[in-house]
Amino acid sequence: MPRDLVSGLFWLAVAIFAAVQGLSLNLGSLNRPGPGFFPFWGGVVLGVLSVVLIVRSFRPVAAGPRIRPESWKPLVVVGALLAYLVLLEPLGFVAVTFLFLLLLFRLEQRGWAFSAGSAAIGTLASYGLFQVWLRTQLPTGPFGF
Amino acid sequence: MEIFHGVLYGFQVALQPINLLYCFAGVFIGTLVGVLPGLGPAAAIALLLPSTFAASPVSAIIMLAGIYYGAMYGGSTTSILMNIPGEAASVVTCLDGHAMARQGRAGAALGISAFGSFIAGTLSVVALTFLAPFLARVTLSFGPPEYFALMVLGLTLLTYFARESMVKALIMAAAGLLCGTVGQDVMSGRFRFAFGIRTLEDGLGLVPVIMGLFGVSEVLLNLEQREEATEIFAPPTTGLLPTRADWRASTLPILRGSALGFFLGILPGAGAIIASFVSYAVEKRASKHPERFGRGAIEGVAGPEAANNAAAGGAFIPLLTLGIPANAVMAILLGALMIHGLQPGPLLVKQAPDVFWGIITSMYIGNAMLLVLNLPLIPLWARLLQVPYAIMFPFILLFCLIGAYSVGNNVGDGLVMWVFGVVGYLLKKFDYEGAPLILAMVIGPMMEESLRQSLILSGGDFAVLVSRPISAAFILAAAVLLLLPLLRSRTAVPASS
Repeated sequence: MPRDLVSGLFWLAVAIFAAVQGLSLNLGSLNRPGPGFFPFWGGVVLGVLSVVLIVRSFRPVAAGPRIRPESWKPLVVVGALLAYLVLLEPLGFVAVTFLFLLLLFRLEQRGWAFSAGSAAIGTLASYGLFQVWLRTQLPTGPFGF
Repeated sequence: MEIFHGVLYGFQVALQPINLLYCFAGVFIGTLVGVLPGLGPAAAIALLLPSTFAASPVSAIIMLAGIYYGAMYGGSTTSILMNIPGEAASVVTCLDGHAMARQGRAGAALGISAFGSFIAGTLSVVALTFLAPFLARVTLSFGPPEYFALMVLGLTLLTYFARESMVKALIMAAAGLLCGTVGQDVMSGRFRFAFGIRTLEDGLGLVPVIMGLFGVSEVLLNLEQREEATEIFAPPTTGLLPTRADWRASTLPILRGSALGFFLGILPGAGAIIASFVSYAVEKRASKHPERFGRGAIEGVAGPEAANNAAAGGAFIPLLTLGIPANAVMAILLGALMIHGLQPGPLLVKQAPDVFWGIITSMYIGNAMLLVLNLPLIPLWARLLQVPYAIMFPFILLFCLIGAYSVGNNVGDGLVMWVFGVVGYLLKKFDYEGAPLILAMVIGPMMEESLRQSLILSGGDFAVLVSRPISAAFILAAAVLLLLPLLRSRTAVPASS
């Protein structure tokens, strides 16, 4: 399937969704446009553009680069980021940050000792920078930090 | 006389020790951000925005602005020494800058970049000083139709300059406009696209979206690339001062680059990246020996480096006179001004002259600081570049996480960043650019409001957009830009087949 067809279909779906939402939000009238006016017409414009992209995607073009990820690393990182956000408030900044950094250093084939040491230093340094110096209110975990 | 007083007043503000300190911090961090590949000024400013909440508005904006033009200086160092752009506006500098380094002329390339940047940066601030108050007076008469038409033109320009297909850039702009409608509708108070989620009811935060699109997705893409052993040239300790021959070759390119950069910087949507590309093309065309380009022509370094710095100055014009951001960085500065209770636009010069003139004059000081700072610090930056990416990326991600969280101590903002990080990664994979989306998302709410006000004013008649001369001119220019590629492809296709 051509790459542009895939993304074109995606945007068409977004466009239809936006237009339907716009309709249900009340379009208002032209001399008193309502909250749905802009989302509806934005969706219509997006829809027209995505149809143009879809139609054009059938024209033969030189093959572009592959879409599939070249490595599994981004997937691990995406998972780690999500886990960080989910666990941040239950476990507290210090614990989650240490685990996060440890995992990412290990990802690039660094040794356990090096990774653990760097993660500990990185955690302390960022805690000092954000919590102590910049007074960011970082979440504390069940251990009090 | 009014300008003279303004400048004098501005220097009184900018020369206060606290503001000098913030200015220094800004340009220093900016250079660092420029030097480090994979961390651009937009993400960096978004990251540091929460840390300025405690400062006065002037100090905050002086620092954040310093990061922006500081990054323009820093980017060239990485381009020249490593052949990797430290920052998107330094892509073209790689071509001749790195070629010069290979010939042992890294010092001259770094030197002319710094001096060219300083000259262009200063010239563009001079132009800003004189033009901004004048334009603020002109734009005072702008009503909703003019605002709307100008923003349409800005978005069209951005898509016109898109490197990939224009249709895709327009799709990004439309998607950005829809992203801008998330949250509470100002005029009716109703929630749109919020689905009962508290984070979304406040609208998509600019900081998390930018850090996702420009910070997280950038790291994900970099991780995929196989690690290549890049050669870093040892930073030269001598020969940083350009010779007389270098100056002779570079003076005109620097001046041309300054003018080009400034005017392209003013246009919402054009900006520093495009300015540097256009300047390179112009210099190549103007040269008597275009074959030298790509093989270490100093003009090919001087022109684009001047252009991207001048563009950074020009970009402040729409922000300070209209309250419309010209690019993603200006969008965050706009957000920063509003967080500090200021309304950027034609009234800013009257309502907050300390901010208006303080920012402008701080840029004279900042540029001078950068020139003095930059050359002696090059060995330090070169050492920093030797830190492997494997050590750097966990910290970039961690800072993004903390930055997104600390805007409102809300994990939801972190999740918004996460989503836009993944989306940004996929967009790159499918050949889309993130810039039109961000700009459209920021000006979307302003566009919507001005369109709805225009229609209310005119009683539902769209002709209001073309019956007023200024707005008609903007709409006409936008229409021409949209139709131009169509005409060109229609005439070009038969010729090639």
